[in-house]
Amino acid sequence: MTEVNIVNLIKNFSGMTRPAVDNISINIQNGELIALLGPSGCGKTTILKMITGLLTPDNGDILLDNQSILSVPTEKRNVVMVFQNYLLFPYMNVNENVGFSLKMKGDDPKVINKRVQEMLELVKLPDIGERRPKQLSGGQQQRVALARALIANPRLLLLDEPLSNLDAHLRDEMRELITSIQKKLGVTCMFVTHDQEEAVLLADKIALIFDGKLQNFAEPKEFYEKPINVSAAKFFGGVNFIELNKNTNYFDSSIGKIISNQKNVDELHSKCIATIRPENIKISRENIYQDNFFKGKIKSVIFSGTHTRYKIVINNLNLECSLQSLGIQNINKEDEVFVNLPKDKIWIMND
Amino acid sequence: MGGDKTKIILSITPPLLIIILLFYGGIFYGLVQSLGYQPAIGKYEINFDAYYNILFSERYAKLFWTGLALNLWVSFVSTFLAAVLALFAALAIRKTFFGKTVCNFIYSLNLPMPHLVVAVGIIFVFSQSGLLARMLAQLNIISSPGDFPVLVKDKYGVGIILAYIWKESAFFFIILMSVLQSLGENFEELAQSLGANRWQRFRYVILPLVMPSLFSASIIVFAFSFGAYEVPALLGVIYPQMLPVMAFEFFLNPDLNARSEGMALSIIIALIVMILVIIYFWLTQTRIRKD
Repeated sequence: MTEVNIVNLIKNFSGMTRPAVDNISINIQNGELIALLGPSGCGKTTILKMITGLLTPDNGDILLDNQSILSVPTEKRNVVMVFQNYLLFPYMNVNENVGFSLKMKGDDPKVINKRVQEMLELVKLPDIGERRPKQLSGGQQQRVALARALIANPRLLLLDEPLSNLDAHLRDEMRELITSIQKKLGVTCMFVTHDQEEAVLLADKIALIFDGKLQNFAEPKEFYEKPINVSAAKFFGGVNFIELNKNTNYFDSSIGKIISNQKNVDELHSKCIATIRPENIKISRENIYQDNFFKGKIKSVIFSGTHTRYKIVINNLNLECSLQSLGIQNINKEDEVFVNLPKDKIWIMND
Repeated sequence: MGGDKTKIILSITPPLLIIILLFYGGIFYGLVQSLGYQPAIGKYEINFDAYYNILFSERYAKLFWTGLALNLWVSFVSTFLAAVLALFAALAIRKTFFGKTVCNFIYSLNLPMPHLVVAVGIIFVFSQSGLLARMLAQLNIISSPGDFPVLVKDKYGVGIILAYIWKESAFFFIILMSVLQSLGENFEELAQSLGANRWQRFRYVILPLVMPSLFSASIIVFAFSFGAYEVPALLGVIYPQMLPVMAFEFFLNPDLNARSEGMALSIIIALIVMILVIIYFWLTQTRIRKD
């Protein structure tokens, strides 16, 4: 159980016009599972490497339980990283791979064997100790890599794209295994991913990073419902954006007056952007004359199994709406409909 | 299908014929000569006399066994030291630093250098009248160049070993650089995060990863140095003499009867090298099966 503080971390690489990591600060509580989320090249893995000590920050500090670890060499930090491609030592069998860190510490072989067996049982692979990495499937290799990291009893466990090399069905299995082990052992854990779904399903909190800058650090739900800006909203699948002009109690837009229940409107600039998730938009054939009700036309209907997706145009503004297919009204392309943007579901942000 | 087979056979026949006639033909002719068959001097009987003479006769046995010991010593030591030197050079040079390209070029430059030139270079630098002896005498570290230890044309083959280290470490270096670069540094970084210190990373990560390539290259270098002629001819002494030099002297002997011994010696050298190659293949196959 370790509290982690990343304070104003900066890293520059020669030949780059902007810092790879630009003044990032994150606080991670004991036993939390944190996702560093962002597109490729945004600086996520650079942050992990600075935490392990494989890279030195140009500025800032990294603290474990309020003690700076910058002067501690990698091998003494007890911060263990599981690499994206597992990196099992090909010339060692599973037992030797898992027991590697204890062997480096000089532990007694009997103790190592016992701990290796415990770890293999923890990752649900108790009978493969004698096998070579080549004889394992991708999922098994990932579990062995996880066991090898956990046996060191790390203060902080770092996972680099832990699910990206796995098939879809193995991902679900591995995701459940990682969360259950992490909660059982209470180890503070940070993982890197470019997949927002993976981040949402695994993490207690997400640090969203674009171009080396931290956009937002919050619980997953917040990224869907209250994104910090348009880029963050788009990264989490946001497709509906409406330009607004702020007024006293409402907002003007190209489709008419928009009202929101949002509490922080004072912090908004005069020009701002509204977003609403497709599943929160309601459509009907009748005008109920409520707030945020607009007349529109269906431009396309896409059936995708459980849900049906509608593209609607309202006074030249395109919006997307997603409704459950079951019990849906008979709405077709070119139909005129009334679109409701519920004022408790609409989210307005500066951009 | 039949047409395809004919095409393949026709296309591989010319190179196959060259190999069979020139290479195996030469070996076969040498083999029959080693068995005493020399029609040019009226010897038609097949026997093992030349092999017996080389291995057991009072005249040649001592020369052969001391020569074999020197051959093994020179090949083992030069191969081992060249490999170690190249490994440390590759580990030092693989990381990006200012002047890396120049260092890489200087180290790799030895590879296209002819062995003869390297042998002459060793004489210039390490002989008692060489550059090093003169420099040390100038610096009063030794009183005169004659006090410099005998490193060239010495009975322990130090000059020959130095020449092979100089030359073959470049071969090891190029192989190791390509292996290390293809491996990247992820394994070492992982080991470091798992608590391995610098020595442990070398012992438990780098060495096992490069060992298969290092071992293959060692077999090639050992086989080459075991059978090569020009460096021991230039830098060796008359006794003990390395086997390839001894074989060539038998061959040049005006007494054509000695040719059978020369051929027998050459076949013995080839057999030893072949046994080593077979051991190598056996070891690698065992390893593959194990994996």
